[in-house]
Amino acid sequence: MTSFVFKRLSQAVIVLIVMSILVFTGVYVIGNPVDVLISPDATQAIREQVIAEYGLDQPLWKQYLDFVGSMSTGDFGRSFVFNMPVGELISQRLPATLELAVIAVLLASLIGVPLGIYAGYRPNSLASRIIMAGSILGFSVPTFWIGLMLIMLFAVQFGVLPAGGRGQTASLFGIPFSFLTLDGWKHLLLPVLNLSLFKMSMMCRLAAAGTREVMTTDAIKFARAAGIPERTILRKHVLKLISIPLVTVFGLELGSTLAFALVTETIFNWPGLGKLIIDSIASLDRPVMVAYLMMVSVLFVVINLSVDLAYAALDPRLRLKGR
Amino acid sequence: MTELLKVENLRTYFETERGTVKSVDGISFEVRKGEIFGLVGESGSGKSITGFSLIGLLDANGKVQPGSSIKLAGREIVGLPDQELRRIRGREIAMVFQDPMMTLNPVLKIVDQIAMAIRAHEKASDQEVRRRAVEALARVRIVEPEKKIDQYPHQFSGGMRQRVAIAIALLHKPKLVIADEPTTALDVSVQADILKEMKALVAELGVSMIWISHDLATVSQISQRIAVMRRGEIVETGTVAEVLGQPQHPYTQGLLDALPSRARPGELLASATTESSGPIVLDDLAKTAPKAADGAFVQVDDVDMVFERAVGRVGRFTQKFGIGQPSHAVHAVKGAKLTIAQGEVLGLVGESGSGKSTLGRIICGIYTPTAGNVTVGGRKVREGQRKLGTGVQMIFQDPYASLDPRRTIFQSVADGPLAHGLTTRRDARAYVNRWLKAVAFDPALADRYPHQFSGGQRQRIAIARALAMQPELIVCDEPVASLDVSIQAQVINLLIELRRTLNLTLLFISHDLSVVRHLCDRVVVMHHGKIVEEANVAQLFEAPQQPYTKMLLDAVPKLAV
Repeated sequence: MTSFVFKRLSQAVIVLIVMSILVFTGVYVIGNPVDVLISPDATQAIREQVIAEYGLDQPLWKQYLDFVGSMSTGDFGRSFVFNMPVGELISQRLPATLELAVIAVLLASLIGVPLGIYAGYRPNSLASRIIMAGSILGFSVPTFWIGLMLIMLFAVQFGVLPAGGRGQTASLFGIPFSFLTLDGWKHLLLPVLNLSLFKMSMMCRLAAAGTREVMTTDAIKFARAAGIPERTILRKHVLKLISIPLVTVFGLELGSTLAFALVTETIFNWPGLGKLIIDSIASLDRPVMVAYLMMVSVLFVVINLSVDLAYAALDPRLRLKGR
Repeated sequence: MTELLKVENLRTYFETERGTVKSVDGISFEVRKGEIFGLVGESGSGKSITGFSLIGLLDANGKVQPGSSIKLAGREIVGLPDQELRRIRGREIAMVFQDPMMTLNPVLKIVDQIAMAIRAHEKASDQEVRRRAVEALARVRIVEPEKKIDQYPHQFSGGMRQRVAIAIALLHKPKLVIADEPTTALDVSVQADILKEMKALVAELGVSMIWISHDLATVSQISQRIAVMRRGEIVETGTVAEVLGQPQHPYTQGLLDALPSRARPGELLASATTESSGPIVLDDLAKTAPKAADGAFVQVDDVDMVFERAVGRVGRFTQKFGIGQPSHAVHAVKGAKLTIAQGEVLGLVGESGSGKSTLGRIICGIYTPTAGNVTVGGRKVREGQRKLGTGVQMIFQDPYASLDPRRTIFQSVADGPLAHGLTTRRDARAYVNRWLKAVAFDPALADRYPHQFSGGQRQRIAIARALAMQPELIVCDEPVASLDVSIQAQVINLLIELRRTLNLTLLFISHDLSVVRHLCDRVVVMHHGKIVEEANVAQLFEAPQQPYTKMLLDAVPKLAV
């Protein structure tokens, strides 16, 4: 196990180095931030002063090394636009996205998996057919459209839920969260629902397919032959046997929701990371883009590692091999 | 003795897309208290479906028909609601399945699986459950049960897993245990032990048992009375001595005749079915056959095979610094030495894990040995060698897995010869047909797909595919192990005839000593990767020299009549 973790961590370092080069050069190609930052009628002297201040007069490799150097000390630079440290900027926005993504993925699993197990357990019942048809709808209808429909219906037509914003927040460990207040929950409900529909459908179909397969195995027949109640069989045998693909998708979805919830965040005017990155791309705010993309890489590396460790926890056969 | 189970006119039908399948069609029998009742038949005879009907665990499209009656200790169980049936399962009727690798849930600890089975029928505290789990494992002779209950199934051997399954079945001291091929997937020595123990347990606990099997020998060993099933009906029933001693029905007689152990070695076996057997080998094929010659055609010198788990660079680094555990290598073959003469059939026997399949694959060039040399016809075998691709061919155990389901029979057989230039696209049809005819397979069916054929036919196709490469040596890895006796007899007959006409050189890998005795000239016995004995067939079977060989021969179940 130790050598496994060690191996994965060293792979992660390589991934991060490659990512930093890609991100840095990629962002460099997008455009020159000087054009956006400085008003066109500034004098040449001011122009050069600003360029030198941001270190943009240095050759690319030097800029990269400086960037890596300050990154390693935890300094992500200052945002050109907001004129504040990027680390601070991101940590301001992170909690909003974090609670949105985590609640959405949890909701998707808690609803999707049981529905899927049911649909796989009784594939021919009417309810199962409705579940399976609904799940196809769930991941084929585009997110932005569902978002707009939700706003139309609940905010405009019935006026029961707010159309956007985070609402009232309460702080936990000094960080503001919406899920701690009733008003916050009202604001969370629609974006969470919007974000989780696709994931829910996917979890549901995965669980259904897994359950159908597992139900025909000898292990389940043997459990039934011992007179074990169906409910126990589903809860103890089936759930554990189908969990590996579910955990994989859970991890991937959590990562991608944290990083790319921007459609939903834009529609519901949610002050999270998705909006921040879109804004910074528009204004060529290089430090924010770079720091954000690096954070996403770290996030995926960490999630994948935890998923691998979860495999070992779920399936004892992998523990021996993973040594 | 009083009767415990009385089955009358049991009919179980399955509704499928192609109409109603009458899997069990009006059978009646009874099982007495404390008796072991054998239910024998080939695959598709309905013997397993009978077992599942009794315990009420049919697939969704199967149904016990009205008018059927199953009485357990006088109580009718046909038509009971699901809840009632569940209460009977495990407590009054229990079941053990064929494949112990599949019946236990791989991701749950043994103690948890036993706990669920206990709590299915009664309330028990965690301590109570542990105590009873230990007791249950001890009853089926598992050593150190206190330690073993906290392990997972993959840490157990096949025989031990089957013991655990039996322990679970016996937890509530049921009145009836249905055992569906419980020893088929096990090695002979393990099988012999389990047979003995099951007999003792049945006597000790006073339970009755239905022993479902295709293997006449094991059934005759363990049961008092047996019934022979064929196509959903019981054709004959009575005591073991009556049914197997003086069979009244031609089908029973046919089954007995198909057993290689009852025929003289090398002779064609009587085939129990009417399906055409006996190859139509064409004269021109026979003419091209090589002449038998003395001396070593295949030579295996001091071959060693060590499988090491790939550790990679980082793994090696961590091992060096003592962070990771050292990887354990598996020494599958140790210093193997053997020769096969041209035209000879060499049997390679051993239990699972003995290294016999690994050695077969090394001879084929699928694996490169860690040390040692293999030569076929004077040429060295190397991994992935193209020319040798035609020189050595392999026939595998499972004809369902060894044919590509998406390619027609013609395509599967033609692929190899086309790739190696043994035929041209234009002549491929005629070329393939010749070899299909050689294995008595109707060439008119060559454009169909594998799933349209039975196991026996598929194995013929696999043989034709190997022959079409015109190999110098064919390695057969358990080619008849997954086939019914009557089909097995046909395939053995085919191999015997092909061997005579084409003068084939065969390496025949098998765990079934009676088949080896019937087919082979010489036998090599492997144990834990080493060759322990090598002798002519007659010599080996009459006067085995090594204790391991003796044990193997003793463990083979024999017809008890």
